[in-house]
Amino acid sequence: MGEYDKKPYDAVIIGAGIGGLICGCYLAKSGLKVLIAEQHYKPGGYCTSFKRQGFTFDAAPHCFGSYREGGVMRKILKDLEVDKKLTIIRPDPSDILITPDYKISFWNDLEKTINELQAVFPEEGNKIKNFFYLLIDSDPNSFSRMRNLTFKELLDQYFTNDKLKAILSFPFFGIGGLPSFLISAFMGAKLFSEFLLDGGYYPEGGMQVLSDALAERFKEFGGELRLSSLVKKIRVRDNKVTGIVIENDGFVPSRYVISNCDARQTFFKLLGRKKVGKEFYEKIKNMIPSMSTFISYLGMDEYFKPFQNPGTTLYFSSHYNLDKAYQAMHAGDIEGYGGYALRISHDKSTIYAGIPAPYKNKRYWINNKHKFLESLIDRIEKYTIPNFSKHIIYKEAATPYTLYRYTLNYRGASFGWAGIPSQFAVPNLRKPSFIQGLYLAGHWTTLGVGISGTAYVGYDTAKMLLRKEKI
Amino acid sequence: MSENSVEKEIISIASDVSGFDPEEITLETNFYKDLEVDSIKAIEITVAIEKKFKISVRDEDVPNITTVSQAVELVTKLLKEKGTNG
Repeated sequence: MGEYDKKPYDAVIIGAGIGGLICGCYLAKSGLKVLIAEQHYKPGGYCTSFKRQGFTFDAAPHCFGSYREGGVMRKILKDLEVDKKLTIIRPDPSDILITPDYKISFWNDLEKTINELQAVFPEEGNKIKNFFYLLIDSDPNSFSRMRNLTFKELLDQYFTNDKLKAILSFPFFGIGGLPSFLISAFMGAKLFSEFLLDGGYYPEGGMQVLSDALAERFKEFGGELRLSSLVKKIRVRDNKVTGIVIENDGFVPSRYVISNCDARQTFFKLLGRKKVGKEFYEKIKNMIPSMSTFISYLGMDEYFKPFQNPGTTLYFSSHYNLDKAYQAMHAGDIEGYGGYALRISHDKSTIYAGIPAPYKNKRYWINNKHKFLESLIDRIEKYTIPNFSKHIIYKEAATPYTLYRYTLNYRGASFGWAGIPSQFAVPNLRKPSFIQGLYLAGHWTTLGVGISGTAYVGYDTAKMLLRKEKI
Repeated sequence: MSENSVEKEIISIASDVSGFDPEEITLETNFYKDLEVDSIKAIEITVAIEKKFKISVRDEDVPNITTVSQAVELVTKLLKEKGTNG
């Protein structure tokens, strides 16, 4: 430990992703002595940006949601006064769904979105309004009723038009890695409201600006952030955490440990089978991770003049067959999958395009990365932005293996565990009862994915811990 | 399972999910007002109760569980039904 203060920490947090940073901020703000250890050389987890040849690219998430009045992101950023460090912009519409027959815009004004959809699908009438208000409403009872349903079953309760149901389902491949017939209604409702109905918020300067502002705030509250610090072990004595071991840094004592990293890492590697117990170990071993994503980063020349709204996320699908798309997604078949999510940056200098993709292995992606990227560019040119490829002056891609390498998320999973009903609210994934003082945060808790979802879990974990401390 | 042990288990679940100490939770405790349970935690509690007691709570019963005592009453009833049915 050397120069470090030897007084034990009140809490150490493994991983400076959004959940870890927010949890750390709340704890440090309340006067606790907190350390965040992050293996990467920059904070943010998936919420990072990088620079290449003068272009700034967002690594994975390219906007966040739930920043409306009463939204969880607004509450958190305000509580922590991080909002003062950021300029948050929002395109209008925030999202557009495009299929062979329709173009559905999600406007900042929800009523406008509802009115437009009602005009396109008049036979569904008020059901569209009722459905959207059900999603945006956070009445605990209506959400509780969704715990055993899939999002498809929820759609079936409201709508009859199959094309409308398919259109409202397609974004889940991109924002949840699952078709609507598998994703839990609760997770689907959260994703739909936070990504589409109240989504598209963007910190000016890039997503890294959000992570950096949180990291800076954490330090202002007195927290200590150690980057490039890989945690090797969570130490436990008599079923109670005693601290963590950081590579090249040694043992760091702490009363609480909050793991904001991958759940399998936490249980299998940092704790180990003996500490976890056979039953829970087997349970985690059999759980299914979410899909990963193949992301392309394109830098454009100054002559690129797209007619699409910059900042708006476009979800394109060339067909309505969700089953076919699901099979193709697993096979890594871009053509069969038929879709992609695409966003032109606010300054029109870059394009981000992503498709859900299987993890496969390192070798597969070494061999297929280039082919995937070219195929994705071809499809964007064919369906969305004609003749755009001649304006590309820089191109790079992140494969599922890249995502794993930078964040250590199991199989490059984009959303923690797959959001299916049977994997929802799994006991012991947030606060394992068999080890005192250990909490999990982030998207591997099954309760929240994406920026706003993990932000909520980080905030809530801090609240739970502070209640225990009677603060 | 006696009503007393059902109560103990439900208090333990409510404590785990909310972060409040078991000693602070009584039969009269309201999940929403006293334990600040939100939509996500409401599901966590419902799912934890279903898994712990191996019962399935009917959707129409969910809105009726706002206090610990209501949860104890419902679980006891469902356990009895389960016992009778098999």
